[in-house]
Amino acid sequence: MIYEAKVNDLAEEFGVHRNTIRNWINSGVLPAQEGPGRRYLIQWEDYKRLCDKYGREPRIGPDPATVGEAAPAPRSNGAVPAAVRLEAKVNPLYTAPALADVCLACGSCAGACPISGVDDLDPRKIVRMAFLGLDEELVESDWPWKCTMCGKCEVVCPMNVEILQLMRRIRSRRERDKVPPAIQKGVVTCLEKGNNLGIPKDDFLILLKELGEELAGSSCPGFATPIDVRGARMLVTVNSKQPFAEPDSLKWWWKIFHAAGESWTISSEYWEGVNWGLHSGDYSAMRTIVKRIIDNIERLNCKALLLPECGHAYYATRYALERWFPESLQQFKVYTVFDLLLEYLAEGRITLDPSVHTRLATFHDSCNYGRKSLKTFGHGYFDEPRALTRACCPQYVDLAPDREENYCCGAGGGAWASPFWAERVFHGRIKARQISESGAKLVVTSCQNCRDQLQTSLNREFNLNIEVQFLWELVANSLVMAPQGGGEVRHG
Amino acid sequence: MAEQTTIGAALVVGGGISGMQAALDLADSGYYVYLVEKTGAIGGAMPQYNKVFPTNDCSMCIIAPKLVECGRHPNIRIMTLSTVLDVAGRAGNFTVRVREYPRYVDVTKCIACGQCSGSCPKSVDDSFNSNIAKRKAIYIKYPQAVPLKYQIDPQACLRLKNPDKCGVCAEICPPGAINFNDRERDHEIKIGAVVMALGFQTFDPSKAKVWGYGVYPNVITSLQFERYLSPNGPTDGLLTRPSDRKPVKRIAFLQCIGSRDKNRCNNEYCSAVCCMYAIKEAMTVKEANPELDVAIFYMDMRTPGKEFDRYFERAKNEYGVRFVRSRIHGVEPKGTKGDLRLHYISVQGKQVEETVDLVVLSVGLETPDSMVKLAEKIGIHMTPDRFASISAFMPVHTSKRGVFTCGAFNGPRDIPQSVIGGSAAAASVSALLAPARHTLTRTLPPPPELDVRRQTPRIGVFVCHCGTNIAGVVDVEEVAAYAATLPQVAHVARNLFTCAQDTQDLLVQEIRDKGLNRIVIAACTPRTHEPLFRKTLKSAGINEYLIEMANIRNQNAWVHNQQPEVATAKAKDLIRMAVAKVSSLTARKPLRIPIAPSVLVIGGGVAGMTAALNLAQQGFQIHLVEKTTQLGGNALHLFQTWNGEHVPRYLKGLKEEVQQHPLIEVAYTSTVLAVSGHVGNFVTTIRTGANRKRVIEHGAVIITTGAKRYIPEEFEYGKIPKVVASIEFDKLHMHNETRVANGKSFVFIQCVGSRNQERPYCSKSCCTHSIQSAIKLKKEAPSRQIYILYREIRTYGQRERIYNQARELGIVFINYEMHGPPRIKKADNGVLVEVWDHVLHRPLEIRADVVILAAATLASPEAGDLATLFKLPLNSDGFFQEAHVKLRPVEFNVDGVFVAGLAHYPKPLEESISQALAAAAKAGRLLARKEINLEPNIALVDPVLCDGCGLCIDVCPYQAITLVEYRDGEGNPLKTVHVDQVLCKGCGICQGACPKRGVDVAGFTYAQIEAQIDAALDQSCVLEEDA
Repeated sequence: MIYEAKVNDLAEEFGVHRNTIRNWINSGVLPAQEGPGRRYLIQWEDYKRLCDKYGREPRIGPDPATVGEAAPAPRSNGAVPAAVRLEAKVNPLYTAPALADVCLACGSCAGACPISGVDDLDPRKIVRMAFLGLDEELVESDWPWKCTMCGKCEVVCPMNVEILQLMRRIRSRRERDKVPPAIQKGVVTCLEKGNNLGIPKDDFLILLKELGEELAGSSCPGFATPIDVRGARMLVTVNSKQPFAEPDSLKWWWKIFHAAGESWTISSEYWEGVNWGLHSGDYSAMRTIVKRIIDNIERLNCKALLLPECGHAYYATRYALERWFPESLQQFKVYTVFDLLLEYLAEGRITLDPSVHTRLATFHDSCNYGRKSLKTFGHGYFDEPRALTRACCPQYVDLAPDREENYCCGAGGGAWASPFWAERVFHGRIKARQISESGAKLVVTSCQNCRDQLQTSLNREFNLNIEVQFLWELVANSLVMAPQGGGEVRHG
Repeated sequence: MAEQTTIGAALVVGGGISGMQAALDLADSGYYVYLVEKTGAIGGAMPQYNKVFPTNDCSMCIIAPKLVECGRHPNIRIMTLSTVLDVAGRAGNFTVRVREYPRYVDVTKCIACGQCSGSCPKSVDDSFNSNIAKRKAIYIKYPQAVPLKYQIDPQACLRLKNPDKCGVCAEICPPGAINFNDRERDHEIKIGAVVMALGFQTFDPSKAKVWGYGVYPNVITSLQFERYLSPNGPTDGLLTRPSDRKPVKRIAFLQCIGSRDKNRCNNEYCSAVCCMYAIKEAMTVKEANPELDVAIFYMDMRTPGKEFDRYFERAKNEYGVRFVRSRIHGVEPKGTKGDLRLHYISVQGKQVEETVDLVVLSVGLETPDSMVKLAEKIGIHMTPDRFASISAFMPVHTSKRGVFTCGAFNGPRDIPQSVIGGSAAAASVSALLAPARHTLTRTLPPPPELDVRRQTPRIGVFVCHCGTNIAGVVDVEEVAAYAATLPQVAHVARNLFTCAQDTQDLLVQEIRDKGLNRIVIAACTPRTHEPLFRKTLKSAGINEYLIEMANIRNQNAWVHNQQPEVATAKAKDLIRMAVAKVSSLTARKPLRIPIAPSVLVIGGGVAGMTAALNLAQQGFQIHLVEKTTQLGGNALHLFQTWNGEHVPRYLKGLKEEVQQHPLIEVAYTSTVLAVSGHVGNFVTTIRTGANRKRVIEHGAVIITTGAKRYIPEEFEYGKIPKVVASIEFDKLHMHNETRVANGKSFVFIQCVGSRNQERPYCSKSCCTHSIQSAIKLKKEAPSRQIYILYREIRTYGQRERIYNQARELGIVFINYEMHGPPRIKKADNGVLVEVWDHVLHRPLEIRADVVILAAATLASPEAGDLATLFKLPLNSDGFFQEAHVKLRPVEFNVDGVFVAGLAHYPKPLEESISQALAAAAKAGRLLARKEINLEPNIALVDPVLCDGCGLCIDVCPYQAITLVEYRDGEGNPLKTVHVDQVLCKGCGICQGACPKRGVDVAGFTYAQIEAQIDAALDQSCVLEEDA
């Protein structure tokens, strides 16, 4: 049997862009031959394999007579998998009923998950497998690593099953040498060298100094990068990816701090805020990394902490603080990027020019700052980023759905660093569709992952033709700088 | 303390179907009733529905007679716009304060002409229409409202907010009924008992944005959908897309919105009615347009009621409604044209995206906050799900003595359950207040009856629109104009709803003003509506039998809805026939006969004992006939109720009460042999013990013959000792037999013998039963592995709580619907069960120590005999078929015979008890009258034509005819027949058999029927119409 289809048809069938289909064909993911009338000829087996990989119902069966019918139930399928013996569980993945037992198997989670059906798995099946004690299979499966831990499944679950906790436990159980290498390497390097990419201290300090000088020479006269400033009000962490790959991106925040007259500092040691222990399910690493930040705050006698790099950094740090260091939360304030920026605005420390950005803008909710924070910490950041974005962009539209029900960009939970790029792009198709349906040309986000996925991956893959900016990038670009180029440094 | 007197009056709070039923039963049983309703009119939720399941009757049509009956009952005082402030005193003697809010319209003056509303400048959302339409600030709740009096919405009225504004209604009101100075009034009422029928509200889905309600216009609630479909709704039954008024092609119903959800709301329970109403709504639109794509997205289809599974199957197989087992997480917009996108997972685990025009949210039921507060104030306990806390053994008793409860306030339930609850509450009140029966009620003397024998017929024809039920198909104007041309027709009128209360007043007026003496109602069926119109004739002072109904709806507009011209012509024919017949009708008098104040209860199970005890407490003599040597029936095998109450202890108490009550006589090892007589005066022969016979005279019968259990033939039952039926398992469990005591792994298999081709019905109580057993097993030893293999978990209503509890305890639920039933094999030291998982689609293997089969409940094999004796129908499953599934759930078309318990359909204990109380209420209501009016539709013998051949004697099924020999004036021996007026049912078989035209059935005489036939075949009319 040959399945004959045009690129357009296939794109519609799989819910992806034409580019994705062409990529699949070019990369051999979908072996296809060019046929007459701009059609591709695909062997039915290859087509079926693709359908199975992406959880789609094949449009035609192996036998032309079954065209259009739902796939037969597996029992009549011939190939009978070996029976699973149900027994009392030994050393189970979980014990709290909320992690799986209370599941109704209603399918809400699987319906909400953009990668349901990929590898023939979905959140409902994961929960079911854990419930039935198929722990080993789960731990061996790649699916929990293709999952972006976005929590859309949890937010729709009528029984409040703790799917993310379960997913983290599955990830925790995996042999460390089988964790996706980039993630594991990041964790190990961070533990050993203080940051995920192992940037040496000297290189880091030189770079920061030079960047500070550049800034002083341009928009912020008198600026000098504050390293290890004791008694500074706020400690600011850094994402190692920035000094490594796009150092200029550090300047956005610096410029804002300068304009606001903030008293802040970066630590010369253990300055990384990114915490991939959250992704790899390594709680001990997560704790260690957060403890270093606490030590820095104590050493430098700061009163506040800002983790500007990514939603997960805020989430992991806050989670660790609440779980292991609750007393620290009494000692210093943990700022989110939103609270800080809104504070500046409210106190008149910064002024924004709404005429800089004229294109239709939208805000992409971060799972970690949004629904996951809402669930874990009792407050989700939905209104704050919108207020800030609107303050910069008078032309604004929301995505649908958004806020708590927002779709993940597809790169969360470590997916950006994982080898499952095809699934990551596939996951992002819904985000891409949302953006293109909204008509927005400027997408604002508050996460490094989301930005990377939207700008470098989805934008190209789905021909979105959008610009993606960090929220603070947007703010920095909209800043009305005082004539002398900066406020007085305030000490909080 | 001085003994306080019992007050023979009751307060019913809530004017919905349940409260109305309680009020009617009480008022007819000899108690004065205050019916307190918080809105401006009674009726509750039913008038908002289009149709009702599973009969697909028009909802408004079946409730209208009850509305009118409440409205004109001399012993019911309806208090609208009123709420209860507090209740003081104790059972039998309460003082209640009721606050009546101002209507701003004097009800004694308002003639409901509607001019006020017509000129009112202020429009607001109409909550009766679920806000899909507007109403004015001065309005009536709905066209058939009782009382039909306008009211002013103080929130909306311009004048009430600002005395300088508007006031136009007061200026134009013809009788000057508007009173802007109306004030709230508090009433102090003395009553003996309270019935709380507080009702429910539907869940507000705008609380969660995720379903798009309130965001996307094409997402509507099921109640709004009812209003769209309803012929009396704002669109006259036309369904279009709210966003652009374009035709709807694809509809998706999302189940469990606001039910079975701990996340979006705190309604853990199942709302019990949504599956059925979604099926009904889906069927309704598919029927109107089979091309529509209609899908219902669900978790478990909960259709456990009588005929519900057949309804479900019919929707699936005959109507082509798609049922998709997948709960939808949210609704998203597709494009900007109003289309909606659903993203879900198929049972196979594949992603599916669908685009639909309209999403209907099947919203659940919940108790409004104000009602919870009222309950708190009165001091009655509530469940965690915010419904009245009741014991399964006392299903209409609240925690406060003398305060009863019914309807959806007792937990989400459908109309029949609410009607049963209303009657059950009435029975309980009757038992409590029996000493004061008839102390506060009054009877109105009927107005003097006009003798029409010498008058020429002056016929009034009233053509009903029935909203758009008739007028949407039939050209009613043309029909009315035609009727006016018929001979002897003196007056023709059209009515929006001829059965509405205001129309009754109008009918009386027209009869008097126009001097009418014969009435034709061209509307619906006499089966449901004739009693109503007869009462109207009576109150107008003409004989109640001078009426004929032309059924231009059921037999015309409904069946010919695609051919309006044909329907209009047929309506004319039907009216012409009715007119021909009505002119020769004669006045008749019903037969009044005394009622024997005793009841025969057949079957000594819980239902029988409950009914017997209640009626005995009401003061009636009871004969309880039990086939075995002990009372208790099927409940003897039961352990606990769904909420964990201990059945054996309760049963012991009930048996003792029954055995010790002086008015109850129990006949053991007895069965019914023969029955004669009729309502009020049955004569039943029973066989007691060793072939002794006894004859019992009684006024009413309650059939509570129970059911029997299915003996499984599947799953190696009887072959492997470790495979047992659930009732057997309960016994093993109770005695902690070794199989249970040492068991580590238990497998329950559901639907054994139920919901199959042979028995396409659900046994209703097995899901709950198995889950309870499972919970008990797990609690005794948490290390036990417990599996429940099911098809649909039907823990409807608040039972959902135990399903949730079971899962929390780690009990494994596996659905075998998709991959077929489990396979059972004997294995070393146990049983090997193989079943496929419904989520993973993989085979599972369980080594079980005990396999428990949830076996079906079967109709009692003796039901057939009883049915024959009492001339009662059985449904195709062998259960007794009640008179009307919705509104007469314990009655039969044979008067004086009632049914309750498993004999009616499988059900859990509390529903049997409720139904038994309802049956007792009906029997009590009958006996309280002391005297009964029998229909005078009886055979009349013409001694001149009858030659005494006796052919009729043989064919009479009621043995009502006897041969009489006499001599004429000249002494010649002659023969004729005599018809016993009481025994004769007016079936007309004698009339058909008589070769001499010597016998006529009153109301259906040869002459009358011939006139009808002649009219039907009237060639001049046919030709006229053709031309």
